[in-house]
Amino acid sequence: MDAAETTDAVTDESRDVGPVVRADRVSREYRVGSATVRAVDRVSMEVRRGEFLAVTGPSGSGKSTLLHLLGGVDTPTEGRVLLGGRDLGRMNERQREKLRLRRVGLVFQRFYLLPALTARENVELPMAEAGSDRKERHERAGELLARVGLGDRTEHRPPQLSGGQRQRVAIARALANRPALLLADEPTGELDRDTSRDILELFLDLTRSGETTLVVGTHDAELAEGAGRGLRLVDGRLAT
Amino acid sequence: MLFEHAWRELRRHPGRTLLALAGVAVSTAMLLDMLMLSDGIQESFRDLFSTSDYSVRVTPAGTLPFQTGATIDGVDELRRRLLETSEVTGVGPVLGSNLLAAGDSVRVFALGVDPDRQGIYRLLEGREPAAPDELLIGDDVRSQLAVEVGDSLRLRTGAFLGGTGGDGASARTFRVVGRADFLYASAGERPVALRIDALGTLTGRRDRASFLMVSLREGLDADSAVAALRERFPGVGLASVGELLEQARERLSYFRQLAYILGTVSVIVTLLLVGTVMAVSINDRYGTIAALRAMGISRRTVLLGLGVETLVLCTAGAAVGLGLGLATAEYLGTILADFPGIPRAVRFFVFDPGTAALALGGTVLGGLAAAQVPAWRAAGLEIAPTLHEEEL
Ligand SMILES: Nc1ncnc2c1ncn2[C@@H]1O[C@H](COP(=O)(O)OP(=O)(O)OP(=O)(O)O)[C@@H](O)[C@H]1O
Ligand SMILES: [Mg+2]
Repeated sequence: MDAAETTDAVTDESRDVGPVVRADRVSREYRVGSATVRAVDRVSMEVRRGEFLAVTGPSGSGKSTLLHLLGGVDTPTEGRVLLGGRDLGRMNERQREKLRLRRVGLVFQRFYLLPALTARENVELPMAEAGSDRKERHERAGELLARVGLGDRTEHRPPQLSGGQRQRVAIARALANRPALLLADEPTGELDRDTSRDILELFLDLTRSGETTLVVGTHDAELAEGAGRGLRLVDGRLAT
Repeated sequence: MLFEHAWRELRRHPGRTLLALAGVAVSTAMLLDMLMLSDGIQESFRDLFSTSDYSVRVTPAGTLPFQTGATIDGVDELRRRLLETSEVTGVGPVLGSNLLAAGDSVRVFALGVDPDRQGIYRLLEGREPAAPDELLIGDDVRSQLAVEVGDSLRLRTGAFLGGTGGDGASARTFRVVGRADFLYASAGERPVALRIDALGTLTGRRDRASFLMVSLREGLDADSAVAALRERFPGVGLASVGELLEQARERLSYFRQLAYILGTVSVIVTLLLVGTVMAVSINDRYGTIAALRAMGISRRTVLLGLGVETLVLCTAGAAVGLGLGLATAEYLGTILADFPGIPRAVRFFVFDPGTAALALGGTVLGGLAAAQVPAWRAAGLEIAPTLHEEEL
């Protein structure tokens, strides 16, 4: 990404004082039959601008659920989440949807790219939804794909790409609308060691340059160690 | 991008898409054929009846033309009295009778007419019969009996089961002076035309007619004119072409019912087919759809994308179906032309652009409606639980 854009992103961010995202004693309960499962149990935390935070914990400890709560994908049954200082609980679904589109980038274990679209078109999709014009999003998609190292694969479709390449496309897509917060749930879960390392490098690069703030939920020890800070969940609670 | 994506998405599953397209095509073809059938016969009858100015038929009381062997007596007198009324401008009597030709082996249907006042054939070749021994033939007779204009043909009366032949057998040799297209002829009827007085003499039925074709003063409403004439001519049956059409419509109503039922069935088939195909295709994509929704892609965008996909599938299938339906209708039409007792000129399947648009619209709207169910379910998925489920 060129210097102008980096500066732009930084100035945009610097308008927000305080953490990018903050959770105040948030819980998320699921009712399964007559039982109630507390997937996330009174978690308080915050993420500062430019941070690279790893959320770890055994399977079922609530990593995915916490990420969903932070991104406004899910709503807490208790407590509140402030994204860029705004209380997600005070928004309606439509407003949260808009906020997710413009302020949050999501990366999934299974990539979830549209297989019928090219890499470039996949990256353009959130921009099209946000209403940016054709020429602008075409160019930006090209830049983003170059940024994640896929400058020569823009017209390939996901089935023609390797797992690592697909995840890079997904990361480029997540960055499309210049989100304040990037959430990646098990981003290396389907990738081999070397490819996972490349993704870690990319994440480090993106956070060090101040392009985004990143929270990953992961089992991957190497990825977790690479992150600047770590949080561990056990049974939905923060372990200290 | 929406249409492009829809098209590519369909092409990703060529087998599934081809099957769905074939199914949609077949049911659209059926729908088109049934729509063409439902009012095709009627339209076609209307065209047939409006080929001449004779908008009223006078028949023996209580019958339709040629429905029975009954005839009207005192035709000359009736004709004169009809022409005296202010409504009537022309009267053309028609007498029908079965005759035998070619050494009694072939039956022909002879139509006695006043060549100057008739609306039942169009001269194609030669001239009208001017003398009592002159005859017009149709193409059936020409090919089956191998007679041409200028040849002679010997015809004989005889007794027919349920036929309209006279009592005593008599014969006469005719000169073929022309060839005509008989508008109302049905398959196997082998019509010929001659002067009504000549046929009356030959069959012993002078001054009689099977029915009269009556033309009315221009600008007169046929139905009210017929009502007025009925009062003054109680001894005969009077019907306007509109009334005859209505009767034909009633008699053919089972064709229409059949068409409606089968047309409805084909729309239901489209609904089930498109609904199933889209449901299967959408179910495969729950994870992706939930991820898109998590990313802030709106419900509307998801619905639009799936809708366009359905639209492309249905429109492509329906377009193929229209071609298929036309070809089928053409083929069925040639078979049904031989339907006994219905004029060959009557077409069962009549195409018009409105019908095609209706078939296309029926399929596309039906398909879109059916796809709404899985599409709304997908668009309305709870995002986090779906992502959780898809992870497993
Ligand atoms: N939609 C749901 N309905 C019921 N229970 C749920 C639902 N989503 C999550 N849970 C439960 O909440 C708990 C936390 O799940 P979550 O997916 O957040 O864990 P995780 O740490 O991401 O696990 P993994 O490492 O396997 O991805 C689990 O017990 C899970 O079964
Ligand atoms: Mg998880």
